[in-house]
Amino acid sequence: MTVLATSLPHAESVPFTGAHAVVRALEAEGVEYVFGYPGGAIMPVYDALTGSSLKHVLARHEQGAALAADGYARVSGKPGVCLATSGPGATNLVTGIANAFLDSVPMVAITGQTATALMGTDAFQEIDTFGITLPIVKHSFVVRDPADIRTVFAEAFALAMAGRPGPVLIDLPKDVTQASLAIPPGFDQAGPAPRRSNTPPAAGAIFEAIKMIERAKKPLLYVGGGVGIARAEKALRDFHARTGIPAVATLKGLGAIPTGSPDYLDMLGMHGGQAANLAVQESDLLIACGARFDDRATGKLDTFAPNARIIHFDADPSEISKLRDADVSLIGEMGAILHALRPASLHIHTWRDRCAAMRQRFAPRYDAPGSGVYAPALLKALSEQAGDDFIATCDVGQHQMWVAQHCRFSRPQAHLTSGGLGTMGYGIPAGIGALFAEPDATVVTVTGDGSIMMNIQELATIVRYRLPLKIVLLDNAQLGMVRQWQELFFEENFSEIDLYDNPDFAELARAFGIEAFTVDQRRDVPAAIDRLLSAKGPILAHVRIDPRENVWPLVPPGAANSQMMEA
Amino acid sequence: MTGEIVIDFKRSEGAVLRLIGQVERRGFEVTSMTLPHHGAGLARLTLGVEPRDASRSFETLSRHVAKIHGVTGVQAAIQATAMERAS
Repeated sequence: MTVLATSLPHAESVPFTGAHAVVRALEAEGVEYVFGYPGGAIMPVYDALTGSSLKHVLARHEQGAALAADGYARVSGKPGVCLATSGPGATNLVTGIANAFLDSVPMVAITGQTATALMGTDAFQEIDTFGITLPIVKHSFVVRDPADIRTVFAEAFALAMAGRPGPVLIDLPKDVTQASLAIPPGFDQAGPAPRRSNTPPAAGAIFEAIKMIERAKKPLLYVGGGVGIARAEKALRDFHARTGIPAVATLKGLGAIPTGSPDYLDMLGMHGGQAANLAVQESDLLIACGARFDDRATGKLDTFAPNARIIHFDADPSEISKLRDADVSLIGEMGAILHALRPASLHIHTWRDRCAAMRQRFAPRYDAPGSGVYAPALLKALSEQAGDDFIATCDVGQHQMWVAQHCRFSRPQAHLTSGGLGTMGYGIPAGIGALFAEPDATVVTVTGDGSIMMNIQELATIVRYRLPLKIVLLDNAQLGMVRQWQELFFEENFSEIDLYDNPDFAELARAFGIEAFTVDQRRDVPAAIDRLLSAKGPILAHVRIDPRENVWPLVPPGAANSQMMEA
Repeated sequence: MTGEIVIDFKRSEGAVLRLIGQVERRGFEVTSMTLPHHGAGLARLTLGVEPRDASRSFETLSRHVAKIHGVTGVQAAIQATAMERAS
């Protein structure tokens, strides 16, 4: 599938430098892929890469590299590694690092830096990468002594994975990577394992949670991204099946309970399903699993689940009672907590029937009038036909919400979306990363005509590595979500949303060497899906859709989730 | 309402910036600061802090600070202002 950058033979006469130490440290940490882009201050590391076992994936922009590392990490469960030079190389990584931070994705970002003697002198391509990234990393290091490289890398990888995962930055001044050093004993040994919370949750809290669940008449599971991050979906599904407690999911929690499962309602929140939002509002006990009461999920916070007591499980203690006070909190390893929760008896038949009725009543309809392509129906059919190997990577906008609302997901790793940062341009690089993590998966990037232009250059990366990425470009010749909000909340004052002058996307894809075709009639959708799924190489379906189409339902900003707007 | 947060941490590059940044980003103004040298790689930062709005919790702030790598201990004490005490 892939043709990776050729490694040159390692010359025995070359002295062992800090750059070699970097490469050897990455190898010792078990890294297989590095997503990056070379440049001045990081050149010693690129020099040392040749002859190593690392496979470097050359993106066409550092943001693409960081987002590909993010996609790789989400699917593989291992830290994604990205590499860039100082100055603009580092600043171009910033969006990708922030994306990983807000979505709790393990990442090690490595940047070159001006030589230590020049740091602080406004040297060429000098920027305070450490300072710029302080608010968006779990931790960061400036390596000032090459002898520290192994220790720093070991610590960085352990930190990226420990507890609530996230990005760690390592800034490498050029003199440090150029310096010669002796290989210390034990250099190639793997670093310490990530610190996991092995402390079982307090028995008292478990007991109290069980009692609350047993007493509840309308309990509801509120499933967030923390379940998938902890790879605790099996424990969650077991708990869900044992108890029959109805469930809703956040955008990041989709797939933790398979979309079609009994007692699973829908996504909650701003573009959540009506059944899910109404169930939350009616519930008397909300069991939050790896969810953080994000504003997109809760709507107006003081009206969210007004009758519910809260049990909150999370790996991160700082999420407990951050936005909504928890009546019982359980901090630690999600799977162990869910396994320990074994209520003896539940009396929720009436509530389950009520939820099932709401689910049936508010099920989405796909019989839209007209003969044009109806994006929700296309996405539903595509995901169902793709089966359990389906992975969707989304950009940001209306199409992102349609994917969340209408696609079938069999596991949390099947839905890669920029939930926290909302990064337009995420979809294609994330698809690249997903394919390196799981080459046999059916990876589909769903994008829009606004988003695709944010990282269009990565089409070249797809071709270079012969990645069989399937791209569905939903083109309404507008910034659709912005237009929708201007229509609904800005008195139809449409400001700077018209993308009438888009390029011919199918021709553009072909110019990169990607098979492409255009669809604009509903009757052609089944054949288009067949063509997408049967393609052996990369393919782009340019799908023209009605620019007046909106995403429904919608909770207006600042409103309660019960105040959903419908078409 | 004002408060004081006492943070014990391992000295490392950028550690003080990281701590103050976390406090500011989480919705608190730093009103005073002491950083006596502790030696042996450890330091103690004492910050006087004031929430920027009523929704900010000292307990949540303490948890956010406590999870920063290198922090070994956090204590927070809330002090009512003179006006709050009078009311």
